Amino acid sequence: MRDLIIIGSGPAGLTAAITAAEHGLDVLVLDEYHKPGGRLLGQLYEEPGGTWWNGIEESRKLAERAGVLGLDIRLGKSVHNIEQVNSSWLVHADCETFEAKSLLLATGAAEAPVAIPGWTLPGVMSVGAAQVMTNVHRVKPGKRGVIIGVNVLSSAIAMELKIADIEVAAIALPKTNQVNGSASNPTEVMNALLHVSHMAPSLFVKMGSKLMKNDFMKKMGITFYPKNGVRMWDIPVMLRKAVIRIEGTDQVEGVTLATVTADGKVIPGTEEVIGCDFVCIAGGLYPLAELAALTGCPFYHINELGGFVPLHSQDMRTPLDGLYVAGNITGIEGAKVAMSQGKTAALSIAKDLGQDIADTSLSEAVRQISSTRTDAHIQFHPEVDAGRRKLQEYWDLHDAEKRKVMV
Amino acid sequence: MTDRDMIVCRCEEVTYGELTDTAEKFGCTSRELKLRTRAGMGYCGGRTCRSLVDAIALAATERDVTQITLKYQPPVRPVHFGDLGVITND
Ligand SMILES: Cc1cc2nc3c(=O)[nH]c(=O)nc-3n(C[C@H](O)[C@H](O)[C@H](O)COP(=O)(O)OP(=O)(O)OC[C@H]3O[C@@H](n4cnc5c(N)ncnc54)[C@H](O)[C@@H]3O)c2cc1C
Repeated sequence: MRDLIIIGSGPAGLTAAITAAEHGLDVLVLDEYHKPGGRLLGQLYEEPGGTWWNGIEESRKLAERAGVLGLDIRLGKSVHNIEQVNSSWLVHADCETFEAKSLLLATGAAEAPVAIPGWTLPGVMSVGAAQVMTNVHRVKPGKRGVIIGVNVLSSAIAMELKIADIEVAAIALPKTNQVNGSASNPTEVMNALLHVSHMAPSLFVKMGSKLMKNDFMKKMGITFYPKNGVRMWDIPVMLRKAVIRIEGTDQVEGVTLATVTADGKVIPGTEEVIGCDFVCIAGGLYPLAELAALTGCPFYHINELGGFVPLHSQDMRTPLDGLYVAGNITGIEGAKVAMSQGKTAALSIAKDLGQDIADTSLSEAVRQISSTRTDAHIQFHPEVDAGRRKLQEYWDLHDAEKRKVMV
Repeated sequence: MTDRDMIVCRCEEVTYGELTDTAEKFGCTSRELKLRTRAGMGYCGGRTCRSLVDAIALAATERDVTQITLKYQPPVRPVHFGDLGVITND
């Protein structure tokens, strides 16, 4: 029987596989996509200091290292169920079942939609789909697009589309309804964006982000925010206009925009149609934890981490024997954090399987997760640290309960 | 097209209007809303509309942070009947 199966070959899964193999474990990696790298493959942006983070290049480096170690990575394998039988884990993938002593879930994140009348028309896609088409497959999603949803991910991808010479006519808010929530509230969206002003300097220099520290200025900021948006990489970012409908008969032909009040109400008579041939919807990311949910592992909803996350410790153990998690399944963060979590998980697994892992190397790996987080260029939620602390409290409670049962 | 006629669950063709009316009438939790309307119960297993169905139910009910809303059940990916339960000795 194998020592370890890893589900997901993104930055977390691959880094874990490499670390585990380096410590002599027999590892199998499964991924349903046809290339290793996960969401890393689509990433492309400039970091402070002018260096570029090129996800394809980073994935290639990881895959090369895996190749040198002779890792068994099987692609195009969708895992549809997992179960713990006696003291081993069974992993059901398509028509095959694999077995191992330990299991690491590194399945990453999924995208949430926003719902706008017309969102089921051909030509509407998630912003991540546009990223994969453009950066991974090198296929233009269209000639001229509109992005609905203003957040870290959609701004990063807008810039990537721009680099690929695809016109983005506007990034605008979704209209208010019961499902679009705070993503359709101009004031709340602006507050969230102020935390990432370093990523979109041109946008916030114009708004004077330093002046925007107090609530009065924020209110003024959104009240006087130019109706036609502020240009970022020459793309109008509209915080006072919302898409109220996606237009088209057989496919996307345009969107109807309307001016909204500071809390998102449509101002009648302000509707205008702009033409485009594709639309991206960007409702944010949430941890893809479906497999963990099948095991009976406890879950907690933590907003700062993007939704429901499986209970786990800082060293990536879950309360179930032989089950570990790493990467975005534990909360939405950038690829570098996912890698450091992958490394930590592999060390914990090796230790639990009886390998000689010094406590100091494990605690150093845990420390590296926090320092990577602090230095991260991309942060999806400004309060991610608070989210991690909440989860740790749940873990401590759980641990205390377990000890009580044992005495 | 208005919000009311907008399809939320594509697999089962459930509209926004149907979901909000049901949630309001019965004060549904996500699970009850799903069972009453079939939203999220189609071929894709709710992978597209799950967060939307959840949001509509949350307008009427309080979130329990310790329970995943809309339970996951195996298989979490579409799979042929013939392939379910096959054991290979790898
Ligand atoms: C659309 C999108 C864009 C993003 N853009 C950025 C960005 O620009 N910068 C940034 O820092 N972060 C970005 N992120 C966040 C991203 O999730 C992290 O950067 C990082 O890739 C997380 O690594 P991971 O290893 O946890 O998961 P991933 O990289 O998502 O890898 C998970 C892997 O698991 C596989 N998988 C999942 N479920 C199964 C299953 N049941 N069976 C088999 N295989 C399965 C998937 O195919 C995937 O390859 C983005 C995320 C998304 C969804």
